[in-house]
Amino acid sequence: MAHLKHPDSRSTIHMEDSIVISHHHYDDRQHVLRLHCPQCASHAVHGQFVHLQCDRSLLLRRPFSIMRARPDEGWIDLLYKEVGQGTMLLAKQAEGSVLNLLGSIGNPFILHEDKPIRILIGGGVGIPPMIFVAETIRQQYPSDTDMTYAFMGSEISFPFTVLNSELPVPGVTAHHAIEDMENISIPSRLASLRYLTGCYRGHVTELAEKFLQTLSPERLQIAEIFSCGPRPMLYATKRLAMKYNIDCQISMEEYMACATGGCAGCNVKITGPDGPAMKRVCVDGPVFDASLVEL
Amino acid sequence: MQRGLDSRLKVSFCGIELNSPVILLSGCVGFGEEYTRIKGFSNRDAGAICLKGTTGTARLGNPSHRLAEASSGIINAIGLQNPGVEAVIDDILPTLDFTETRFFANVSGSTVEEYIDVVRRFDDSSVHAIEINISCPNVKEGGAAFGNDPDMSARVVGACRAVTGKPIITKLSPNQTDIAESARRCIEAGTNGLAVINTLMGMAVDARSQVPIIGSVQGGLSGPAIKPIALLKVYEVYQVAKEHNIPIIGQGGIASASDAVEFLLVGAATVGVGTALFYDPMICKQINSGLVEYMDSMGIESIAALTGTLKLSGSVSGCDDRP
Ligand SMILES: Cc1cc2nc3c(=O)[nH]c(=O)nc-3n(C[C@H](O)[C@H](O)[C@H](O)COP(=O)(O)OP(=O)(O)OC[C@H]3O[C@@H](n4cnc5c(N)ncnc54)[C@H](O)[C@@H]3O)c2cc1C
Ligand SMILES: Cc1cc2nc3c(=O)[nH]c(=O)nc-3n(C[C@H](O)[C@H](O)[C@H](O)COP(=O)(O)O)c2cc1C
Ligand code: FES
Repeated sequence: MAHLKHPDSRSTIHMEDSIVISHHHYDDRQHVLRLHCPQCASHAVHGQFVHLQCDRSLLLRRPFSIMRARPDEGWIDLLYKEVGQGTMLLAKQAEGSVLNLLGSIGNPFILHEDKPIRILIGGGVGIPPMIFVAETIRQQYPSDTDMTYAFMGSEISFPFTVLNSELPVPGVTAHHAIEDMENISIPSRLASLRYLTGCYRGHVTELAEKFLQTLSPERLQIAEIFSCGPRPMLYATKRLAMKYNIDCQISMEEYMACATGGCAGCNVKITGPDGPAMKRVCVDGPVFDASLVEL
Repeated sequence: MQRGLDSRLKVSFCGIELNSPVILLSGCVGFGEEYTRIKGFSNRDAGAICLKGTTGTARLGNPSHRLAEASSGIINAIGLQNPGVEAVIDDILPTLDFTETRFFANVSGSTVEEYIDVVRRFDDSSVHAIEINISCPNVKEGGAAFGNDPDMSARVVGACRAVTGKPIITKLSPNQTDIAESARRCIEAGTNGLAVINTLMGMAVDARSQVPIIGSVQGGLSGPAIKPIALLKVYEVYQVAKEHNIPIIGQGGIASASDAVEFLLVGAATVGVGTALFYDPMICKQINSGLVEYMDSMGIESIAALTGTLKLSGSVSGCDDRP
């Protein structure tokens, strides 16, 4: 007992009083929140999230994906949409407000060396982790061009600067892209069921399929999909991956209380080789192999 | 290195020495290691940790959503997801650091036989005590169905008593008419301690989509919303328990040192914290230091001296006419 080794998971999540550095408000009740939280920022990786106290009046924290982290400057960015009481109260937090957070939490997306063609599919507030993945890919593979493509869908206006793309995406005629992606030379395209100039009119998975159709069987074999968004979109993404027989990692959402693995409140059903099991989105996920998740 | 806790926080509970009266409650801290993920959190700050409810065989638990936020509370319907007693004993207990705190098993079952089987297995394990949960509102069989019937409660406790020499703590349901009567029957059946209270049954509805938020429709309400009820239940149970020297883990909505003191005053020997951890994972430290401050300011020598010292002025009419 004296030499018992404590699990490696100990002390991996930081509890910090973060300070609101800036809070930008976009159309359709979307917001980008920059928080000063040096410990979390220096550990954050693509696909992880924070568990944030949105307001002292609430009993539960709220989980939000990390969109971007700058360890050198000690901040992270979150992008969120107002959907209920917690996010509404969060939207009222002004610069200088102190918000306690737990972070960074969860398993990141895995960038497999043998799958260098990376297709990112994000929907709505599932876009933030896709931005983080794109930036990580660019950092780890600075000279890979024509290998990573991002497709983003939204039924409300995009809370990003959108511009005419100079980076071609095979099979796709829509020409609008996200500036942040363009700046790191990752071609991106947008989809919406609404009529938005420069965007593909339809589901984001249909847009991604236009691109997949142009890939040779050899290139499909070394492709992998990374996805985050609402459940129906994840379901369509999983089916798309099955149709083209490519691997697919998805980030899941579920209601959370503790976000440390303690309450079993956030479990989703995973069916692996050993049969069905319940896995916690917070610490076993939020990223899972799409083929194992019941959607 | 870590400084030890103030020695005045030490309590003896069912014959077990605890470094603090604060106990982390079953179902909120997984199998004992989950919260140590948070830097600065230490199991040493807790007097004991109750492990997640464990059954004879593995259970997948309830469908999602399993949680809903309510006013000053949360509703949960986890459905006793656990890997089964064998996996808990063989794979989990050997990984726990028993030098840091005490660990209590928490047992559930669909039948009396299942309770007996699980308790018997934990009897031959390293846990310090066995909590019998006859009050889980989130399973169809066993659980609260036993706990809401004093005869059945006594039967389960008696059957478990027969197969273990370890201290037994019986966790009582607030969803019953006469909790004090139930406590009395459990004491007669041989329980060494009582845990008061488990969650209250509740429900949450999404007005927009017109569906229940909880996948299994109903769940158990915990958190500050239930504190006044919990205080009264501890007070009622204490009137019976004190005559038999049976200690109580008071619980239900405790979120501060002053909440903890209130439970001690009405009769609890120790206090449990569950839901409050979700907002403030460092709550255990806060309560410990708050209790020390309270003892300093009130000139109290030991936390144990507080139990049941509620001052009742004059005659308490219409409150309780039990012997
Ligand atoms: C890992 C993860 C990452 C997320 N990333 C983002 C993000 O980057 N941007 C963003 O806008 N949203 C994100 N969400 C969803 C976000 O957590 C919810 O929108 C938010 O909790 C809603 O809170 P509310 O009080 O405004 O809504 P209400 O509906 O009033 O919330 C009531 C309760 O339900 C919970 N809840 C409601 N919807 C969700 C949901 N979709 N997921 C989890 N819990 C929910 C709340 O946390 C709260 O406890 C993420 C969720 C998870 C699990
Ligand atoms: C998510 C969750 C899971 C729980 N699981 C169990 C359990 O497995 N066994 C049990 O005896 N009590 C369980 N409980 C009840 C708690 O242990 C505690 O009695 C109750 O929540 C009241 O305390 P609180 O208000 O401090 O949370 C659970 C509570 C919550 C919130
Ligand atoms: S939120 Fe508690 S286990 Fe994931």
